Amino acid sequence: MQINTENNQAAIRDLEIATGETISDCYQCGKCTAGCPASMDPSPSLLIHLLKLGLFTKAVNSASIWDCMACLTCSERCPKNVSPAAIIEGLKRIHLNNMEPEINLNSLGQEFLAHSTQQAVVSGFRKFV
Amino acid sequence: MPENMTHVPYYPGCTLKSKALGYERSAMDCARSLGFEMHEIEKWNCCGASFPLTKDNLMGLTAPTNILIETEQHCKERDIDAKLITLCSFCYNTLKRTDFAFREEPGKLKTLNEFLNREYKGNVTVIHYLEYLRDVIGFDNLSKMVKTDLSHLRVAPYYGCLLLKPQKELGLDDPEEPVILHDFLDALGCQVIDFPGQVDCCGAYLIMRNPDKVLELSHNILEEASEYGAQTIVTACPLCQSNLDQSEAVRGEMPILYFTQLLAVALGLETEQHQFESHCIDPKSLISSCKKFKEFSDAK
Repeated sequence: MQINTENNQAAIRDLEIATGETISDCYQCGKCTAGCPASMDPSPSLLIHLLKLGLFTKAVNSASIWDCMACLTCSERCPKNVSPAAIIEGLKRIHLNNMEPEINLNSLGQEFLAHSTQQAVVSGFRKFV
Repeated sequence: MPENMTHVPYYPGCTLKSKALGYERSAMDCARSLGFEMHEIEKWNCCGASFPLTKDNLMGLTAPTNILIETEQHCKERDIDAKLITLCSFCYNTLKRTDFAFREEPGKLKTLNEFLNREYKGNVTVIHYLEYLRDVIGFDNLSKMVKTDLSHLRVAPYYGCLLLKPQKELGLDDPEEPVILHDFLDALGCQVIDFPGQVDCCGAYLIMRNPDKVLELSHNILEEASEYGAQTIVTACPLCQSNLDQSEAVRGEMPILYFTQLLAVALGLETEQHQFESHCIDPKSLISSCKKFKEFSDAK
Protein backbone atom coordinates (compact mmCIF):
# COMPACT_ATOMS: atom_id res chain seq x y z
CA MET A 1 0.00 0.00 0.00
CA GLN A 2 1.18 3.49 -0.82
CA ILE A 3 2.13 6.04 1.78
CA ASN A 4 1.43 9.57 0.61
CA THR A 5 3.34 12.36 2.26
CA GLU A 6 2.65 16.02 1.72
CA ASN A 7 5.86 17.24 3.26
CA ASN A 8 8.82 15.05 2.36
CA GLN A 9 11.35 17.08 4.35
CA ALA A 10 9.26 16.90 7.53
CA ALA A 11 8.80 13.15 7.05
CA ILE A 12 12.56 12.69 6.71
CA ARG A 13 13.17 14.69 9.88
CA ASP A 14 10.64 12.51 11.69
CA LEU A 15 12.40 9.41 10.38
CA GLU A 16 15.73 10.70 11.69
CA ILE A 17 14.24 11.38 15.10
CA ALA A 18 12.58 7.96 15.24
CA THR A 19 15.67 6.05 14.18
CA GLY A 20 18.33 8.21 15.81
CA GLU A 21 20.20 8.23 12.48
CA THR A 22 21.62 11.19 10.54
CA ILE A 23 20.90 10.50 6.90
CA SER A 24 23.24 13.22 5.60
CA ASP A 25 26.19 11.39 7.20
CA CYS A 26 26.02 8.83 4.39
CA TYR A 27 28.61 9.51 1.67
CA GLN A 28 27.36 6.79 -0.68
CA CYS A 29 30.36 4.48 -0.59
CA GLY A 30 28.08 1.53 -1.22
CA LYS A 31 29.60 -0.84 1.34
CA CYS A 32 26.12 -1.55 2.74
CA THR A 33 24.84 -2.58 -0.67
CA ALA A 34 27.92 -4.65 -1.43
CA GLY A 35 27.40 -6.67 1.73
CA CYS A 36 23.61 -6.96 1.62
CA PRO A 37 22.65 -10.66 1.44
CA ALA A 38 19.04 -9.80 0.60
CA SER A 39 19.97 -8.37 -2.84
CA MET A 40 17.62 -5.48 -2.12
CA ASP A 41 16.45 -3.54 -5.15
CA PRO A 42 16.43 -0.58 -4.58
CA SER A 43 19.56 -1.25 -2.54
CA PRO A 44 20.21 0.11 0.97
CA SER A 45 22.52 2.82 -0.38
CA LEU A 46 20.01 3.82 -3.05
CA LEU A 47 17.23 4.07 -0.44
CA ILE A 48 19.42 6.39 1.61
CA HIS A 49 20.31 8.35 -1.52
CA LEU A 50 16.60 8.87 -2.23
CA LEU A 51 16.17 10.19 1.31
CA LYS A 52 19.15 12.51 0.89
CA LEU A 53 17.49 13.87 -2.24
CA GLY A 54 14.29 14.47 -0.30
CA LEU A 55 12.38 11.75 -2.14
CA PHE A 56 10.78 10.30 0.97
CA THR A 57 7.63 9.00 -0.73
CA LYS A 58 9.70 7.03 -3.22
CA ALA A 59 11.88 5.53 -0.49
CA VAL A 60 9.07 4.58 1.87
CA ASN A 61 7.08 2.92 -0.92
CA SER A 62 10.00 0.83 -2.18
CA ALA A 63 9.10 -2.85 -2.05
CA SER A 64 12.67 -3.81 -1.13
CA ILE A 65 12.36 -2.53 2.45
CA TRP A 66 10.44 -5.75 3.18
CA ASP A 67 13.34 -7.89 1.95
CA CYS A 68 15.65 -6.68 4.73
CA MET A 69 16.46 -9.44 7.23
CA ALA A 70 18.05 -7.11 9.79
CA CYS A 71 21.26 -9.15 9.67
CA LEU A 72 23.07 -5.87 10.46
CA THR A 73 25.88 -6.46 7.97
CA CYS A 74 25.26 -3.00 6.47
CA SER A 75 25.26 -1.25 9.84
CA GLU A 76 28.35 -3.09 11.00
CA ARG A 77 30.35 -2.20 7.89
CA CYS A 78 29.30 1.43 7.46
CA PRO A 79 32.41 3.62 7.75
CA LYS A 80 30.24 6.61 8.67
CA ASN A 81 28.43 4.88 11.51
CA VAL A 82 25.06 5.05 9.80
CA SER A 83 22.69 2.13 10.32
CA PRO A 84 20.85 1.43 7.05
CA ALA A 85 19.06 -1.43 8.85
CA ALA A 86 17.62 1.04 11.37
CA ILE A 87 16.53 3.44 8.61
CA ILE A 88 14.86 0.59 6.75
CA GLU A 89 13.09 -0.52 9.93
CA GLY A 90 11.95 3.08 10.41
CA LEU A 91 10.44 3.03 6.91
CA LYS A 92 8.69 -0.28 7.60
CA ARG A 93 7.22 1.08 10.79
CA ILE A 94 5.57 3.94 8.94
CA HIS A 95 3.54 1.33 7.04
CA LEU A 96 2.86 -0.77 10.12
CA ASN A 97 1.82 2.25 12.18
CA ASN A 98 -0.78 2.87 9.49
CA MET A 99 -2.22 -0.57 10.22
CA GLU A 100 -0.98 -2.05 6.99
CA PRO A 101 0.53 -5.45 7.85
CA GLU A 102 2.90 -6.80 5.21
CA ILE A 103 1.86 -10.40 5.73
CA ASN A 104 -1.68 -11.68 5.85
CA LEU A 105 -1.93 -13.69 9.03
CA ASN A 106 -4.92 -15.66 7.79
CA SER A 107 -3.01 -16.83 4.74
CA LEU A 108 -0.16 -18.35 6.76
CA GLY A 109 -2.17 -21.40 7.73
CA GLN A 110 -2.17 -23.40 10.96
CA GLU A 111 0.13 -26.06 9.58
CA PHE A 112 2.78 -23.54 8.56
CA LEU A 113 2.65 -21.91 11.99
CA ALA A 114 2.74 -25.26 13.77
CA HIS A 115 5.96 -26.18 11.97
CA SER A 116 7.56 -22.77 12.22
CA THR A 117 10.35 -21.95 14.61
CA GLN A 118 8.84 -19.86 17.39
CA GLN A 119 11.43 -17.12 17.23
CA ALA A 120 10.74 -16.73 13.49
CA VAL A 121 7.04 -16.25 14.21
CA VAL A 122 7.68 -13.70 16.95
CA SER A 123 10.30 -11.71 15.06
CA GLY A 124 8.29 -12.01 11.84
CA PHE A 125 5.29 -10.51 13.62
CA ARG A 126 7.50 -7.73 14.93
CA LYS A 127 8.80 -6.90 11.48
CA PHE A 128 5.78 -7.50 9.26
CA VAL A 129 2.65 -6.95 11.33
CA MET B 1 29.75 -35.41 39.09
CA PRO B 2 31.30 -32.39 40.87
CA GLU B 3 29.75 -31.59 44.25
CA ASN B 4 29.95 -27.82 44.17
CA MET B 5 28.09 -26.90 41.03
CA THR B 6 28.25 -23.22 40.13
CA HIS B 7 24.74 -21.80 39.98
CA VAL B 8 24.25 -19.88 36.73
CA PRO B 9 20.88 -18.19 36.08
CA TYR B 10 19.51 -19.17 32.69
CA TYR B 11 17.01 -17.62 30.30
CA PRO B 12 15.63 -20.15 27.78
CA GLY B 13 13.26 -18.19 25.53
CA CYS B 14 10.43 -19.57 23.42
CA THR B 15 12.21 -21.80 20.90
CA LEU B 16 14.37 -23.60 23.46
CA LYS B 17 11.18 -24.87 25.09
CA SER B 18 9.68 -26.17 21.89
CA LYS B 19 11.43 -26.68 18.59
CA ALA B 20 14.96 -26.54 20.00
CA LEU B 21 14.42 -28.72 23.05
CA GLY B 22 17.45 -30.80 22.10
CA TYR B 23 19.59 -27.65 22.26
CA GLU B 24 18.44 -26.92 25.82
CA ARG B 25 18.75 -30.48 27.06
CA SER B 26 22.20 -31.03 25.60
CA ALA B 27 23.40 -27.67 26.96
CA MET B 28 22.11 -28.49 30.46
CA ASP B 29 23.61 -31.99 30.48
CA CYS B 30 26.97 -30.66 29.31
CA ALA B 31 26.86 -27.89 31.92
CA ARG B 32 26.42 -30.44 34.72
CA SER B 33 29.27 -32.47 33.35
CA LEU B 34 31.46 -29.35 33.26
CA GLY B 35 30.62 -28.28 36.79
CA PHE B 36 27.88 -25.69 36.49
CA GLU B 37 24.13 -25.88 36.79
CA MET B 38 21.87 -23.69 34.63
CA HIS B 39 18.94 -22.55 36.74
CA GLU B 40 16.00 -21.23 34.81
CA ILE B 41 14.86 -17.91 36.28
CA GLU B 42 11.47 -18.34 37.94
CA LYS B 43 9.34 -15.98 35.92
CA TRP B 44 10.16 -15.21 32.36
CA ASN B 45 8.43 -13.97 29.25
CA CYS B 46 9.34 -13.87 25.57
CA CYS B 47 12.23 -11.46 24.91
CA GLY B 48 10.50 -10.15 21.78
CA ALA B 49 12.95 -12.03 19.53
CA SER B 50 14.21 -8.93 17.80
CA PHE B 51 15.83 -5.89 19.32
CA PRO B 52 14.04 -2.76 18.06
CA LEU B 53 16.41 -1.00 15.67
CA THR B 54 14.65 2.36 15.83
CA LYS B 55 15.78 4.31 18.86
CA ASP B 56 12.36 5.66 19.83
CA ASN B 57 10.77 2.21 20.10
CA LEU B 58 10.77 1.84 23.86
CA MET B 59 7.85 -0.60 23.81
CA GLY B 60 10.16 -3.16 22.27
CA LEU B 61 12.35 -2.93 25.36
CA THR B 62 9.65 -3.74 27.91
CA ALA B 63 9.81 -7.52 27.44
CA PRO B 64 13.60 -7.84 27.79
CA THR B 65 13.62 -5.36 30.68
CA ASN B 66 11.19 -7.56 32.59
CA ILE B 67 13.55 -10.50 32.09
CA LEU B 68 16.51 -8.49 33.37
CA ILE B 69 14.49 -7.46 36.43
CA GLU B 70 13.57 -11.09 37.14
CA THR B 71 17.23 -12.04 36.83
CA GLU B 72 18.28 -9.37 39.32
CA GLN B 73 15.62 -10.66 41.70
CA HIS B 74 16.72 -14.28 41.22
CA CYS B 75 20.35 -13.40 41.95
CA LYS B 76 19.57 -11.13 44.89
CA GLU B 77 17.59 -13.88 46.62
CA ARG B 78 20.55 -16.24 46.28
CA ASP B 79 23.28 -13.68 46.85
CA ILE B 80 25.07 -14.58 43.63
CA ASP B 81 26.56 -12.58 40.75
CA ALA B 82 23.92 -11.17 38.44
CA LYS B 83 24.91 -13.13 35.38
CA LEU B 84 22.42 -14.48 32.86
CA ILE B 85 23.31 -17.27 30.48
CA THR B 86 21.50 -17.65 27.14
CA LEU B 87 21.60 -20.13 24.28
CA CYS B 88 19.49 -18.63 21.48
CA SER B 89 21.30 -15.97 19.44
CA PHE B 90 18.12 -13.86 19.21
CA CYS B 91 17.60 -13.86 22.98
CA TYR B 92 21.27 -13.15 23.59
CA ASN B 93 21.21 -10.27 21.14
CA THR B 94 17.99 -8.74 22.46
CA LEU B 95 18.82 -9.01 26.16
CA LYS B 96 22.40 -7.86 25.82
CA ARG B 97 21.50 -4.92 23.60
CA THR B 98 18.74 -3.86 25.96
CA ASP B 99 21.15 -3.82 28.86
CA PHE B 100 23.68 -1.94 26.71
CA ALA B 101 21.06 0.65 25.72
CA PHE B 102 20.43 1.37 29.40
CA ARG B 103 24.12 1.74 30.15
CA GLU B 104 24.48 4.18 27.25
CA GLU B 105 21.28 6.08 27.95
CA PRO B 106 20.26 5.97 31.61
CA GLY B 107 17.26 8.17 30.74
CA LYS B 108 15.76 5.25 28.83
CA LEU B 109 16.09 3.02 31.86
CA LYS B 110 14.32 5.62 34.00
CA THR B 111 11.43 5.78 31.52
CA LEU B 112 11.14 2.00 31.34
CA ASN B 113 11.25 1.60 35.10
CA GLU B 114 8.52 4.22 35.52
CA PHE B 115 6.39 2.61 32.84
CA LEU B 116 6.79 -0.92 34.21
CA ASN B 117 6.46 0.30 37.78
CA ARG B 118 9.38 -1.95 38.69
CA GLU B 119 13.08 -1.33 38.92
CA TYR B 120 15.91 -2.66 36.86
CA LYS B 121 19.09 -1.52 38.57
CA GLY B 122 21.29 -2.27 35.58
CA ASN B 123 23.48 -4.94 37.12
CA VAL B 124 22.95 -7.97 34.91
CA THR B 125 25.71 -9.29 32.69
CA VAL B 126 24.17 -11.20 29.79
CA ILE B 127 26.42 -13.92 28.44
CA HIS B 128 26.19 -16.62 25.83
CA TYR B 129 26.87 -20.26 26.70
CA LEU B 130 29.85 -20.20 24.32
CA GLU B 131 31.25 -17.25 26.22
CA TYR B 132 30.98 -19.22 29.46
CA LEU B 133 32.86 -22.13 27.89
CA ARG B 134 35.58 -19.82 26.61
CA ASP B 135 35.99 -17.46 29.55
CA VAL B 136 35.01 -19.47 32.63
CA ILE B 137 35.66 -23.12 31.77
CA GLY B 138 38.39 -22.35 29.22
CA PHE B 139 38.82 -24.18 25.94
CA ASP B 140 42.11 -25.66 27.14
CA ASN B 141 40.35 -27.25 30.10
CA LEU B 142 37.48 -28.31 27.90
CA SER B 143 39.83 -30.19 25.58
CA LYS B 144 41.06 -32.20 28.57
CA MET B 145 37.51 -33.38 29.32
CA VAL B 146 36.85 -34.81 25.87
CA LYS B 147 36.15 -38.53 26.01
CA THR B 148 35.17 -39.23 22.42
CA ASP B 149 37.41 -39.32 19.40
CA LEU B 150 36.11 -36.75 16.90
CA SER B 151 39.33 -36.46 14.93
CA HIS B 152 37.73 -37.89 11.78
CA LEU B 153 34.85 -35.36 11.80
CA ARG B 154 35.01 -32.41 9.43
CA VAL B 155 32.86 -29.77 11.07
CA ALA B 156 32.03 -26.31 9.70
CA PRO B 157 31.27 -23.62 12.30
CA TYR B 158 28.35 -21.41 11.32
CA TYR B 159 27.87 -18.19 13.28
CA GLY B 160 25.02 -16.40 11.55
CA CYS B 161 24.36 -12.77 12.38
CA LEU B 162 22.91 -11.98 15.77
CA LEU B 163 25.49 -13.82 17.84
CA LEU B 164 28.12 -11.34 16.65
CA LYS B 165 26.47 -8.12 15.51
CA PRO B 166 26.67 -5.35 16.49
CA GLN B 167 30.16 -6.00 17.81
CA LYS B 168 30.28 -2.72 19.74
CA GLU B 169 27.34 -3.84 21.86
CA LEU B 170 27.83 -7.61 22.09
CA GLY B 171 31.61 -7.81 22.10
CA LEU B 172 31.61 -11.59 21.83
CA ASP B 173 33.91 -11.89 18.83
CA ASP B 174 34.95 -10.31 15.55
CA PRO B 175 31.84 -10.11 13.31
CA GLU B 176 33.73 -10.72 10.06
CA GLU B 177 36.32 -13.26 11.15
CA PRO B 178 35.08 -14.85 14.35
CA VAL B 179 37.01 -17.62 16.06
CA ILE B 180 34.99 -18.66 19.11
CA LEU B 181 33.23 -21.62 17.44
CA HIS B 182 36.44 -22.54 15.63
CA ASP B 183 38.31 -22.65 18.94
CA PHE B 184 35.48 -24.59 20.54
CA LEU B 185 35.57 -27.24 17.78
CA ASP B 186 39.32 -27.31 17.97
CA ALA B 187 39.06 -28.07 21.70
CA LEU B 188 36.74 -30.97 20.91
CA GLY B 189 39.36 -32.38 18.58
CA CYS B 190 37.41 -32.10 15.30
CA GLN B 191 38.76 -31.00 11.97
CA VAL B 192 37.53 -27.41 11.68
CA ILE B 193 36.29 -26.44 8.24
CA ASP B 194 36.78 -22.70 7.84
CA PHE B 195 34.44 -21.56 5.06
CA PRO B 196 33.50 -18.07 3.85
CA GLY B 197 29.75 -18.49 4.38
CA GLN B 198 30.17 -18.83 8.14
CA VAL B 199 28.86 -15.31 8.82
CA ASP B 200 26.38 -15.05 5.94
CA CYS B 201 22.71 -14.60 6.81
CA CYS B 202 20.50 -17.70 6.52
CA GLY B 203 17.44 -15.56 5.81
CA ALA B 204 16.20 -15.52 9.41
CA TYR B 205 12.60 -14.40 9.95
CA LEU B 206 12.08 -13.76 6.25
CA ILE B 207 10.85 -17.38 6.32
CA MET B 208 7.51 -15.84 7.38
CA ARG B 209 7.21 -13.80 4.20
CA ASN B 210 9.47 -15.26 1.53
CA PRO B 211 10.46 -18.89 2.28
CA ASP B 212 11.96 -19.37 -1.19
CA LYS B 213 14.48 -16.61 -0.57
CA VAL B 214 15.44 -18.17 2.76
CA LEU B 215 15.91 -21.58 1.18
CA GLU B 216 18.09 -20.01 -1.49
CA LEU B 217 20.30 -18.16 1.01
CA SER B 218 20.60 -21.24 3.21
CA HIS B 219 21.31 -23.39 0.16
CA ASN B 220 24.28 -21.17 -0.75
CA ILE B 221 25.73 -21.54 2.74
CA LEU B 222 25.30 -25.32 2.63
CA GLU B 223 26.82 -25.63 -0.84
CA GLU B 224 29.84 -23.67 0.23
CA ALA B 225 30.33 -25.69 3.41
CA SER B 226 30.06 -28.90 1.35
CA GLU B 227 32.55 -27.65 -1.20
CA TYR B 228 35.01 -26.95 1.58
CA GLY B 229 34.61 -30.53 2.74
CA ALA B 230 32.29 -30.27 5.74
CA GLN B 231 30.36 -33.34 6.90
CA THR B 232 28.27 -31.36 9.33
CA ILE B 233 27.62 -27.77 10.39
CA VAL B 234 27.29 -26.57 13.98
CA THR B 235 25.37 -23.48 14.97
CA ALA B 236 24.24 -21.63 18.09
CA CYS B 237 20.95 -20.29 16.78
CA PRO B 238 17.68 -22.29 16.56
CA LEU B 239 16.45 -20.28 13.59
CA CYS B 240 19.70 -20.79 11.67
CA GLN B 241 19.47 -24.49 12.51
CA SER B 242 15.90 -24.68 11.28
CA ASN B 243 16.48 -22.71 8.07
CA LEU B 244 19.65 -24.59 7.15
CA ASP B 245 18.11 -27.94 8.08
CA GLN B 246 15.01 -27.36 5.96
CA SER B 247 17.10 -26.24 3.03
CA GLU B 248 19.41 -29.24 3.41
CA ALA B 249 16.40 -31.56 3.29
CA VAL B 250 16.00 -30.40 -0.33
CA ARG B 251 19.73 -30.33 -1.16
CA GLY B 252 21.58 -33.18 0.51
CA GLU B 253 22.32 -35.14 3.65
CA MET B 254 24.48 -32.95 5.83
CA PRO B 255 23.24 -32.81 9.43
CA ILE B 256 22.97 -29.38 11.11
CA LEU B 257 23.79 -29.67 14.80
CA TYR B 258 23.65 -27.39 17.78
CA PHE B 259 27.17 -26.96 19.10
CA THR B 260 26.00 -28.35 22.45
CA GLN B 261 24.80 -31.56 20.80
CA LEU B 262 28.29 -32.17 19.50
CA LEU B 263 29.72 -31.15 22.88
CA ALA B 264 27.58 -33.81 24.57
CA VAL B 265 28.96 -36.43 22.18
CA ALA B 266 32.50 -35.21 22.83
CA LEU B 267 32.02 -35.41 26.60
CA GLY B 268 30.74 -38.95 26.21
CA LEU B 269 27.29 -38.15 27.61
CA GLU B 270 24.08 -40.04 27.05
CA THR B 271 22.42 -38.25 24.11
CA GLU B 272 19.13 -40.08 23.88
CA GLN B 273 17.16 -37.07 25.12
CA HIS B 274 18.91 -34.62 22.80
CA GLN B 275 16.35 -34.87 20.04
CA PHE B 276 18.62 -35.70 17.12
CA GLU B 277 15.57 -37.25 15.52
CA SER B 278 13.76 -33.90 15.41
CA HIS B 279 16.20 -32.63 12.76
CA CYS B 280 15.21 -32.99 9.10
CA ILE B 281 18.60 -34.59 8.46
CA ASP B 282 19.13 -37.20 11.15
CA PRO B 283 22.73 -37.03 12.41
CA LYS B 284 22.61 -40.46 14.09
CA SER B 285 24.88 -42.28 11.64
CA LEU B 286 27.42 -39.47 11.87
CA ILE B 287 27.23 -39.55 15.66
CA SER B 288 27.52 -43.32 15.83
CA SER B 289 30.81 -43.06 13.89
CA CYS B 290 32.26 -41.28 16.94
CA LYS B 291 33.76 -43.77 19.39
CA LYS B 292 34.99 -43.16 22.89
CA PHE B 293 38.71 -43.15 23.47
CA LYS B 294 39.93 -46.54 24.64
CA GLU B 295 40.56 -45.51 28.24
CA PHE B 296 36.96 -44.33 28.58
CA SER B 297 35.22 -47.09 26.64
CA ASP B 298 37.06 -49.67 28.75
CA ALA B 299 36.00 -47.95 31.96
CA LYS B 300 32.40 -48.32 30.93
